[in-house]
Amino acid sequence: MHTPFACNSVDHFSRRSFLTGATGGALGMLGFNGMVQAKAAKSLESQQKRVVVFWLSGGVSQLETWDPKPNTDNGGPFQAIPTSVPGVHISELLPQTAQQMHHLALVRGINTKENNHSKGAHIMQTGHRQTPGFQFPYLGSAFSSLLTAQDNPLPGYISIGGGGSAKEASFLGPANVPITLTGTNAPKNLNLPTGLTQQADTRRRNLREKFSKRFALGRRSADSEVYSSSYDSAASLMAQRDLFDFSEFSAEDLARYGTHDFSKHCLMARKLVEAGVTFTRVRHTNYDSHSENFNFHVEQLGEFDRPFAAFVSDLADRGLLESTLVIVMCEFGRTPRINQRLGRDHWGTAWSIALGGTGIQGGAVVGKTNANGTKVIDREVNGGHLFHTYYRAVGLDPTDPFYDKGRPFNKATPETSEIKEILA
Amino acid sequence: MPRSRLSLILATTLFSAGFLSAGSPVSLHADEPLHVRIDQLIAAKTPEYAKLAAPLASDGEFLRRVTLDLTGMIPTTADARAFLADTSPDKRTKLIDKLLASPEYARHMQRVADVVLMRRLAASKVSAAEWQTFLRTSFAENKPWDKLAHEILSNDGSDIKNRGPARFYLDRNVDINAVTLDIGRVFLGTDIECAQCHDHPEFDDYKQADYYGIQAFLVRSALFTDPKTKKAMIAEKAVGEVSFLSVFAPKDKKTKPNSILPTVFGEKLADEPKFEKGQEYKVKPAKNVRSIPKFSRFALLADAVTSPKNRRFTRTAANRFWGMMLGRGLVHPVDRDHSDNPPSHPELLELLADELAAHKFDIKWYLRELALTQTYQRSSRYGAADTKEIPEETFVQAVMKPLSPAQLAWAMLQASGEADVHRKSLGAKLTEAALAKRLVGTENRFVSLFGGPAGQAPQDFETTVDQVLFVANDPTMIALTKTKAGNLADRIAKLPADDTNAIAEELFFSVLTRKPTSEDIADVKAHLSQPMGTDRPALIQELVWALLASSEFRFNH
Repeated sequence: MHTPFACNSVDHFSRRSFLTGATGGALGMLGFNGMVQAKAAKSLESQQKRVVVFWLSGGVSQLETWDPKPNTDNGGPFQAIPTSVPGVHISELLPQTAQQMHHLALVRGINTKENNHSKGAHIMQTGHRQTPGFQFPYLGSAFSSLLTAQDNPLPGYISIGGGGSAKEASFLGPANVPITLTGTNAPKNLNLPTGLTQQADTRRRNLREKFSKRFALGRRSADSEVYSSSYDSAASLMAQRDLFDFSEFSAEDLARYGTHDFSKHCLMARKLVEAGVTFTRVRHTNYDSHSENFNFHVEQLGEFDRPFAAFVSDLADRGLLESTLVIVMCEFGRTPRINQRLGRDHWGTAWSIALGGTGIQGGAVVGKTNANGTKVIDREVNGGHLFHTYYRAVGLDPTDPFYDKGRPFNKATPETSEIKEILA
Repeated sequence: MPRSRLSLILATTLFSAGFLSAGSPVSLHADEPLHVRIDQLIAAKTPEYAKLAAPLASDGEFLRRVTLDLTGMIPTTADARAFLADTSPDKRTKLIDKLLASPEYARHMQRVADVVLMRRLAASKVSAAEWQTFLRTSFAENKPWDKLAHEILSNDGSDIKNRGPARFYLDRNVDINAVTLDIGRVFLGTDIECAQCHDHPEFDDYKQADYYGIQAFLVRSALFTDPKTKKAMIAEKAVGEVSFLSVFAPKDKKTKPNSILPTVFGEKLADEPKFEKGQEYKVKPAKNVRSIPKFSRFALLADAVTSPKNRRFTRTAANRFWGMMLGRGLVHPVDRDHSDNPPSHPELLELLADELAAHKFDIKWYLRELALTQTYQRSSRYGAADTKEIPEETFVQAVMKPLSPAQLAWAMLQASGEADVHRKSLGAKLTEAALAKRLVGTENRFVSLFGGPAGQAPQDFETTVDQVLFVANDPTMIALTKTKAGNLADRIAKLPADDTNAIAEELFFSVLTRKPTSEDIADVKAHLSQPMGTDRPALIQELVWALLASSEFRFNH
């Protein structure tokens, strides 16, 4: 659906079929192996931390989710309902999620000062504002790099529902580029061509590599190295083809999660988390409700609520929530003021996210907006604070910098710090 | 707010490399051909350029590069052998002229322009064939770029015999936001997305008024479907103004929205005529009637954009074609022409814009001049010095360009010999168009897989696992490497098994447009000398595949 003021951003067009991997760009460097990261990853290997991000593309309304303002000029038609945590209320559009509130914390005082889709998405997924000429690694690629044990053969970062870009890994390299899945499809061409033996495949790949190495010699080789390493990514993916068999879901699962795409994507995420994939992103589009905000949210959250709640509940039942960080976020919230088309526009000034699982105090609420939701009046935070918090939640120190060829880069902005109030 | 440590690190390491200097003054002679003056300005900008610059590309490297850039495919095996054997001193110039005159040039430019103009959006209101024919014939007759742009921007789809150019508007559903953004991006070098909602927050060049100034040309236009022919076209009204308010404006009742008359970046147009009420239309709006106002704002847009007074149009054209040939724009990316992203060679960009305008936007002349520069003809290998740390925008060596999806498809078809098989079977009926028609299915497979999502501007090189799995395992790809009468694997199989030199030559000339090195020959020999019992056709197939999948093949280097 096209809204009249639809920004022409990636989020409106990313319907890339199936699977993406490996990166390019000036900073797509290979052989990343910073000493600090190796140390940090090692200390966590036994703990097997995982992260799942639910990315509500286009920008879900905080007023129709985590920070309702019923009966005010900006409140809209929906009421707030009690949750499994006494005293905490969320929008009535999330009745099932409300029952999982004891697993989730709310951050209600976000001010990212950014109303542009791609820039907002950049802040929320990297913790930094965009800097010309430099790409910060995205959260998925960062955690893929930091949390994936050396001996884990699985991809470190899978993006379900499209949207993964090779740029996300930046200097962390192709190994940490998201593999993107759409629909319930396994990646195509995961099997060797008929008649080709494993031995012959290895032989032809080795020859390819020999020719390519010789070509790269004496040339600016970042792109060609990336191309070569994507053949390695492809080979390791082929070795794990069973993981991508999403052809059947049990009747019981479908009854609980629902049968639409997002339901199945949540079930796929559950399978990947159980299998030990470090970082999974599940995208749900399209929340960019410049017109008909309320109808949009009834429809969108109607899809979101049940499978998301079932996912959280299943992870908790299976003991996985103790080691898995779950985050529900997007690029920005939506304007409290309701526009002439009954829409809400872009709003990075006062909005909310929800998160839960490892390292997070279920049921905690931090930050506060004023009565009709137009500004933050208590505990204002931005992308930097959130990133400090994510890192702490999985047991990593965000003040240990990343290293790109020996050059340090901050994981989270140094002028911010973690939100202690919601950390367990 | 204190600057973070990070931004300091960035400032010192990324932005102050200092390779591009103000340069020493160059005395340019207007009587010298453009390609000579280009090389002078490129050299003048980088200290010690002569020492750093890579040598000229070898004949093979040049042949492959210029054939890809001007025709979208790689040379045939026979052409490669002939060009390398040719000893005439002006063979590069003759080659450039031959390629520019070929029908393959027009089809290649059609594909390039299609992606730039339509971003792979689906063809629904105007058929892909009408649009492609319009583009192809335009490039074949070397229609000046400003004229081509004018035809696109002035076509409302109402002339049933000439609807191709209207695809630009109609397949965007005449959505004024989408059209405004893409006029900015394609013709004006500006990505004015942010200016839709507010003045650009970080630099002064793009104002909200610039965005709505362009939109004001189109605000009265809308998609109309002719009830009889069911064809989509544009209908225009005599009234309607743009109205905009910054999202940062105070949200109170006193703040009134702004409006603006049509303008391209502030260039003032003649006053709009006024008509008495009821007299504004040639054809009045009514149900199922395409309204036509006496005064059309839509009709002014093409003039305003392509006007000689509009320097942005000329500059963007000069920069876009430069980027296509040289692998990166002088302003890079090409749709980010603003004061915070200055050109790498400002004087050169001005010269190119002046000359392109002086030559009446003659695209073939311009591409020829670019192809004749030493800058274009340099090797992608480093010269004497290791220039790895020197920024690409110095052009001390050729920038590696990933093959576009269509180039990759046609390179695969040519290298594997599949195109030769079809040439042969077409026999007397062989024409460029007949061959293109035969192989468009394969081309489309590659485009849908390697082309990225519709609607996104082409980006830097990205390789994805699905693409690589396609190259590695897909039956379409594997079929190209298997023996078929007249294809590469077949030709190799027919060579004497012990003549490794001949085998390696045929492979390397066909796939990589060059002679094999001694190391290459040794690798080929080793590969074919597997233990007894290994199937020879299978080994040949592996060799062909390894070359088609190699990095050298994936890039235009």
